Amino acid sequence: MKVYRLPRWALAVSLLLIAALALGACAQQTPQVVTKEVEKVVKETVVVTQVVEKVVTKEVEKVVTKEVVVTPTPKPEEKKLEIFHWWTAGGEREAADAMFRVFKEKYPDVEIIENPVAGGGGVSHRVVLQARLSAGLPPDTWQTLGGAELKSYVDGGYLEPLDDLYAELKYKDVIPQPLYNAVTINGHPYVVPLNMHIQNILYYNKKLFDELGLKPPTTYDELVAAAKAIKDAKPKMSPLGLGTKEKWEAAFLFDSILLEEGGPEYYVKLYKGEIDVKTDPTYKKALEKLQALLPYVYPYHSNLTWDESCGLLVSGDSAMVIMGTWAIGYFKSRGWTPGEDFGAVTFPQKPERILLFHPDTYGKAKNAPHPQTVMLWLKTVASPDLQIPTDVIQGGLFARLDIDPKEFPDPIRQELQTYVRNNPQKLILDQHGSIAPFSFTQAYWDAVAAFIADPNVDSTLSTVSDLFQIYDVKTEAAWYQWP
Amino acid sequence: MKRRTSTITVLVLLTLIVLSVAYLLPIYVMLVASLKTPLEISQRRYLIPSGHLQFKNYVQAFQLVRSALINSSIISFSVTLLAAFLGGLGGYWLSRSRSTFAKVLFILVGIALYLPYQVVLIPLVQVMARTKLALTHLGLILSYLILNMPLASVLMGTFFLGMPRELEEAAEVDGANKLQTFFYVITPMALPAYASTAIIIFTQVWNEFLLALTLSTPQTTTIQVKLAEVKGSFVALYNIQMAAALISVFIPLVFFVALGRYFIRGILAGALKG
Amino acid sequence: MERVRRWQRKWRRLTWGDVISTAIFLLPLLIFLVVLYGMLVWTFYVSMANWKGTAPNYTFVGLKWYKLMFSLDRFWVDVRNNLKWMILGVIPTTFVALLLAYLLEIGSIPGTETYIRTLILYPVAMSFVVTGTIWSWMYQPDKGVFNTILRALGLDFLTGRFTTDPATATYWLILIFIWQYLGFAVIILQSSFRTAELQEMIEAATVDGAGRLRILFSIIVPNIRGGMLILISLLLISALKVFDIVYVVTFGGPGYSTDVLAFFMFIATFQQHLVALGAGLGVIIFLMAFVVVIPYTIYAFRKWFE
Repeated sequence: MKVYRLPRWALAVSLLLIAALALGACAQQTPQVVTKEVEKVVKETVVVTQVVEKVVTKEVEKVVTKEVVVTPTPKPEEKKLEIFHWWTAGGEREAADAMFRVFKEKYPDVEIIENPVAGGGGVSHRVVLQARLSAGLPPDTWQTLGGAELKSYVDGGYLEPLDDLYAELKYKDVIPQPLYNAVTINGHPYVVPLNMHIQNILYYNKKLFDELGLKPPTTYDELVAAAKAIKDAKPKMSPLGLGTKEKWEAAFLFDSILLEEGGPEYYVKLYKGEIDVKTDPTYKKALEKLQALLPYVYPYHSNLTWDESCGLLVSGDSAMVIMGTWAIGYFKSRGWTPGEDFGAVTFPQKPERILLFHPDTYGKAKNAPHPQTVMLWLKTVASPDLQIPTDVIQGGLFARLDIDPKEFPDPIRQELQTYVRNNPQKLILDQHGSIAPFSFTQAYWDAVAAFIADPNVDSTLSTVSDLFQIYDVKTEAAWYQWP
Repeated sequence: MKRRTSTITVLVLLTLIVLSVAYLLPIYVMLVASLKTPLEISQRRYLIPSGHLQFKNYVQAFQLVRSALINSSIISFSVTLLAAFLGGLGGYWLSRSRSTFAKVLFILVGIALYLPYQVVLIPLVQVMARTKLALTHLGLILSYLILNMPLASVLMGTFFLGMPRELEEAAEVDGANKLQTFFYVITPMALPAYASTAIIIFTQVWNEFLLALTLSTPQTTTIQVKLAEVKGSFVALYNIQMAAALISVFIPLVFFVALGRYFIRGILAGALKG
Repeated sequence: MERVRRWQRKWRRLTWGDVISTAIFLLPLLIFLVVLYGMLVWTFYVSMANWKGTAPNYTFVGLKWYKLMFSLDRFWVDVRNNLKWMILGVIPTTFVALLLAYLLEIGSIPGTETYIRTLILYPVAMSFVVTGTIWSWMYQPDKGVFNTILRALGLDFLTGRFTTDPATATYWLILIFIWQYLGFAVIILQSSFRTAELQEMIEAATVDGAGRLRILFSIIVPNIRGGMLILISLLLISALKVFDIVYVVTFGGPGYSTDVLAFFMFIATFQQHLVALGAGLGVIIFLMAFVVVIPYTIYAFRKWFE
C-alpha cells in the first residue's frame, strides 16, 4: 500500500511561524531531548544500577541512596521522573502521595514531576496523554489499566517490553497468572501492576439488612428476592442503587447478570467476539433478566456518577449497589465503617465465584526522557513497600500474592485477598481493563446504558451485534488468553 | 400615557423577579454547597445550608486554584492584548483597502471567523506538542491567538469602517505616514472598540475547556481544567469545587466591570447599525 | 494597454514605507490565517487516513471512515440533536433578549439596569464546568432543586424527570444554554440600539403615537440587522460546537440520547482512539458551520465593500 504523507508545504508553513516564536519559548524552558551521547551513558550506568540493586536486597536503604548519588557519570541523567496519573482527589490523592513518598524515601534526590489529570477511570487523562504521545513527547511513565488500554499503547509503539525487569524481580511468580496475562501483549510484559481492582462486588447497607433479617444476595434470584423484600418494607426506597452517567457503570451491572447466566467461559468468549449475539439465547436471557430487575433500580440513574450512586446508600435512598473495590474508600470517606455500616459480597457466586478485575499499572515509555530513573520507579512499584500503603489507601487488592492479606484494615479486602491467593485462576479481565478493544468497549457501554434507560431487547441485540462487527472484536481481542 | 407607563413598570418589576430567581438560585445553591462537609454533599439536600459552615473550604480551594488562576490570567490577558492589537492592525487594513486581494482575504477571514475549534483540534495539538510549545504558556497563547485572530480582525475592522475618513486625510496632509496616522490618530479614537473586542476575546479564552484540557501540563493548567479536576474522580469534592468557582469568578468579573462602560457603547453601535 | 500603464505607475509610486506599513498591518493576520487553513486541510486529510489507535497513521484510505460514520445510529442522533440545538438554542434566546433589551431601554427603574446586567452576565464569567454541575443538581428528579421546590409549593404535578428522560433530555440542556447566553445577547442588542439615527427614529415614531411593540418590530428590528446578524451567527456557532454542557450535565446520556457531534468527536478521538473518525466528525461540524457562516459572510461582504 502506498503511504501518503501530509503535504510538505502545509507542515512547513504551519511550523514556520511557530518555529520563530518557539525561540522565545525555548528561552523559558529547555526541552529535554535524549541525545546519543546520553544514551551511551545509559548503557554504562545500567551496570552500576544493577550492582546497586544487589545492595538493595542486602543492605539498609540509606546506604543505597548514597551509592546512587555518588555514581560518577560524565554527563549524568537529570534526576527527574515525569509521571502521568489520574489519582487527583479524595482518597486517590492520598494514595498517590503515599506512592510518591515511598519512592522519595528510597531515592530522595529524584524530583518527581507529576501531571495529574482528573476524570473517572482516566477519561481526561487519556486525552492529554494521547496528545503528548502522538506528538513524540512522552512522559517517563504513565498510569494505564491492563488489557485493551495497555494494548493500544503497545500497538502504538509507545512502551518498551519489560522482560528483563520481570526476570530480575521474578515478578511473574509473585502475581496471579491472569494478572500476568493482562499485562502481557504478544508474549512480552509491558507494565508493572501495583494493584487489582475487583469489579463485581455488591455493597449493602448492613444495618438495614440486619433489621429486615436479610442475607446478602449472591445470585440473581436472591438479588430480586432481597430487592422485593426491601421494597415491601421501605416502599420509598429504590433497593438497588445505580448511576450510569459515565456509562461503564451500566455495563458493570449487566456483566454480573451475564456472568451468572453464561458462566466464565461464556463471558470470555463473548468479549473475544466469538459469540453471535444476535441469535444468542444466553445474551438475550441476560438482557431480559436485566429488564426484570429495573423496577427495583434507582430510576434516575443517568444523572448520577458512580460515587453518587454509592452515595445513595449513605443517604438511605438505596440499600445495595454493585461497584468495584474502589467504593470501599468512598464509603469510608463518608464515615461508614466496613463490616459495621456496610457489607460486601462477590456477586454473582453462581455457577462459581469469579472475580472480574483490572490492574493499575506503570510502564516505561519508549524514548523516555529519564530512562534510568524510570527503572528505579518501576522496581519501586513492584515492591511490597509501595503496594502496601498505596493499595490500603486507594481501595484495590495487592498485585503481589506474597503480601499478608492482614495488611488490609477491613475484613472485606482481607477475605478477597485470601480468596485470590488461594484461587488465582478465578480472575478474569473486567470492563475497564477490557478484553475487547477500547473502540468497541466505549460504544458498548453506551448501548447497555441506553438499554437501561429505555429497554428494548431486540434492538439492543442487533446494536450490540453490529458493534462486534464494526470494531472487529474477534481479531482485536485475540491476544487475551484465559484461563 | 400614564397608564401605559405603569404597565411598563409592572412588566419591568415582573421581569426583575423572574430573572432574579433564575439567576440567583444557582448562585445560592453554589454558596450553600461550598460551605458543606463531604458527608452533607452526599445527602444531596441542595437548598438546605450546612449545619457546620466550612469556611476552611475556601482556604483549601484557594490553595488549589491559585496557580491555575495565575496561568489562566497570563494566558487570557496575553491573548486578549495580542488579539486586539494585531486584530486592530489587520482589521484596519481590511477596512481601508479596496483591492481584489482584500476582498479574497475578507472572505477567508469571514469563513474562519466562526470556525469551531474542534475542527482543527487534532492538527493543532500535533503542532503544539511536536514543537514542544505545549509545555509552555506560549503554546496555549498561540493556539488561542490563531483561533481568535479572525474574530478580532472583523470586530475591529467593523468599527474602523464606520469612522469618518476626514481625520486620516487631515493627518496625511500634515505629513504623517500610514503607521503614524493609525497609532496617533485612529487608535485613541478606537479605544471603545478595543475594549469590546477585548471583552469578547477574553470571554472566549477564559472559558475554553477542551483545548486547555488537551494541552494541559502541570505548568499550564488553566482554571477551567483545574475546576473540573478539583472535584476529583474518587470522592466528589463538590464543596471545594464550588468554593473554587466562586473565588475564580472574580477575575473576569472585575475585568468586565472595568471595561464594561466602554463595552455598552461599543463598536456594534458604531458600524453595524443596519 | 492603458491598464498596464496604470499598474506600472502604481508600482513606481510604491515606496518602501508603503511596503513596510502594509506588512505591519497585514502580516500577523495573514500568517495566522495561513496556519489556520493549513490545519483545516490537515484535518480533512486525517479524516481520509487510516489513523486508529494511539500512533499517527497517514495511510490514505479514502472515505472508509465516512462510510462507518454514516452507518452509525449515533451519528444521526447527533445530527438531529445539533439541529435541535441550533434552532431552539438561537431563536428563543434572540427573541427573549430582544424583548428584555427593549424593556430595559424604555422602562428601566433607576439602578435596575446595572443590577440586571450584572445578574444575567455572570454565567459568562463563570466556569461552564461549574454552572453545568449546578444545573445537573437543579434537574435531579428525586432530590434536585426544581422538584424539591415544586413539591414544597404543592405543585407535584409539575415535577418532571428532566434530563433523565431520553425523549426530552436535550431540551433541558438547551435551556441551560439559553440561560447562559441570554446576558451576552442582551448586551449586544442593547449596544446596537444606541445609535443616534435609531434614537431619532424612535422619537419621531413616539411623537406619531406608535405603540411600543410596533416601534420594536417595525422600527428597531429592521434597523439593527447588523447586530442581530452578529448575534445570531454567534449563537448558531456556539450551539453547533456545544460540548461543555453535554459533557458535564449528561455525558451524552441517557444512553446517547443527548449526544452531539462535538462530544462524539471527543469520545471517538480520545477514548475510542479512532482519530480518523474524529477528524471526519470535525469535518462535518465544519461543513455545518460553513452553511451557517455563509449568510453572514455575504451580508458583511456587501456592507464592507459597498
